[in-house]
Amino acid sequence: MSVAPAASTQAPAVAPPARAALRALVRRGLLDNRRAPLVWGGPLGAMSAFVVALYPSISDSLSQAVKGYPAGLKDAFGITDLGTVEAYLNAEMFSLFLPLAVAYFAIRCVAASIAGAEEHGYLDTVLVTPVARRTLVAGVFATTAIAVAAVLVVAGLLTAAGAALTGQALAFGRLVAALAGVWGLALFFAGCATLAAGVLHRAAPVLGAGAGLLGGMYLLDVVGKLADPVQELRWLSAFRYYGTPLTAGLDGAGFAALVLAGALLAAAGAALYERRDITG
Amino acid sequence: MDAVIQTDKLTKRYGGARGIDDVSLSVLRGEVFGFLGPNGAGKTTTIRTLLDLLHPTSGQARLFGLDSRRDSLAIRARLGNLPGEFAFEPRRTGREIVAFLAALRGLRSLGRTSELAERFSADLDRPVGHLSRGNRQKIGLIQALFHAPELLILDEPTGGLDPLMQEEFHKIVAEERERGVTVFLSSHDLDEVERLCDRVAIIRDGRLIAVEHVDDLTRRRYRHVTVEFADAVDVSELRGLPGVRDLQVDGRRARFGVAAGALDAVIKALARHEIVDLELAHPSLEEIFMTYYAREEHHA
Repeated sequence: MSVAPAASTQAPAVAPPARAALRALVRRGLLDNRRAPLVWGGPLGAMSAFVVALYPSISDSLSQAVKGYPAGLKDAFGITDLGTVEAYLNAEMFSLFLPLAVAYFAIRCVAASIAGAEEHGYLDTVLVTPVARRTLVAGVFATTAIAVAAVLVVAGLLTAAGAALTGQALAFGRLVAALAGVWGLALFFAGCATLAAGVLHRAAPVLGAGAGLLGGMYLLDVVGKLADPVQELRWLSAFRYYGTPLTAGLDGAGFAALVLAGALLAAAGAALYERRDITG
Repeated sequence: MDAVIQTDKLTKRYGGARGIDDVSLSVLRGEVFGFLGPNGAGKTTTIRTLLDLLHPTSGQARLFGLDSRRDSLAIRARLGNLPGEFAFEPRRTGREIVAFLAALRGLRSLGRTSELAERFSADLDRPVGHLSRGNRQKIGLIQALFHAPELLILDEPTGGLDPLMQEEFHKIVAEERERGVTVFLSSHDLDEVERLCDRVAIIRDGRLIAVEHVDDLTRRRYRHVTVEFADAVDVSELRGLPGVRDLQVDGRRARFGVAAGALDAVIKALARHEIVDLELAHPSLEEIFMTYYAREEHHA
């Protein structure tokens, strides 16, 4: 038996449109991350739901305790007032744990899909198809944005369910604003990771650089709130633009700045990625 | 006949370290071109540079007459490639991998995938992480061939394949050649190269040291001569003949190599004696390859 060339399937003489390749890359990326909403969003949502459910039983004692906290400490951790379930949820989840975890997830997505795939030799097969490297990077960034949104939707739904089951009047609009704020923050760090992957060939250094930046910016923001000399440097931290959307509402300009900066960093990463070798 | 691959002083350095140096070669449309060299000689670096995975430090490569860097997408639309170590996400099955690559190529079907899977006895429905090296290599070959490309660039294509599958691969290469496909393959397997290739390039320490037709290479270089004389012959007489080397004498039987250009003089000299038996043999490609390396080593 011989293998006859099929005219309809023969490799076309020109590269197909980037849009088709982008769709294929995003579809593949989402399939690879299909468990992420449950694996990441599930526990985060369950923790948030638990925090919300716990609130009625501790709200009185919390208010008393918070009165005794130093003002700077309360500012630093966004616990100026724990008199509402939103304020308590913000202090427990949305001021530290949830944004750090989701931003780390975004960094991890990018590191695994670009530098990790290169490290394992997977891109040797993908990048010999007529797909531009910038399309690959755009696909990874878009996949990460969607996967992060899916994680946040699951976390948000579980949180809302926790509030509904325990009869808490959690403001749904504020919850959506907070989730959107975390999404913008995660996208910024996804952009940072993409920039790192534009230069680095292995997943661990990209993950390390992204996670280091994430931790560093968080500390800068917290210390900036506590210490006046560092206050002026807070503009360098993405957390400054994230703010406290669950209690103060979404800072539209800050949100736009984070998303735009994330996209620009990813574009810069794609440009660097086009120029470097794929080592395999 | 036009060149499908043409490199001009193609050079790739990794920082200060050598990759390839001034590699100039051309591969003609429809030919099967072998690329030989030991590990680290620069075979994979050359291939990765042709594919635009590595960017040349200097020099240039043209495929289908297009610049390997500037027109990389148009080039890649027309080729199929098997990397030296075919790897993909271990959870994906062969069918999923080919479907993904087909989508990236803008193809609506999996082309020849089923036929190729049947010929290679490949399991398309098991995750590649669960496959042996040989079975993974079959998936690698299928993804390189399924879309009927005009140019195949294959890095160690039969690595891990059992002899039956190697045979099937050889048949497929012959069929591809029949339909005008250009094949550029690197290999350690000199028998395979000798059998499949029209021409062969030999690379050593990043430099191309020979590009020859396989037939010329095996015919022109030298011959193994085994001669049995009726009576004992003075060894010094044989040793003094032009082009004779590696002389071994065992009683009335002598074995030596002789340069193809010196054959006439040697035969005439031998004819002065009574000969019982005479055998002339072409060296194998492997011997030629080793000769090239020994010579280059000597020059180095």
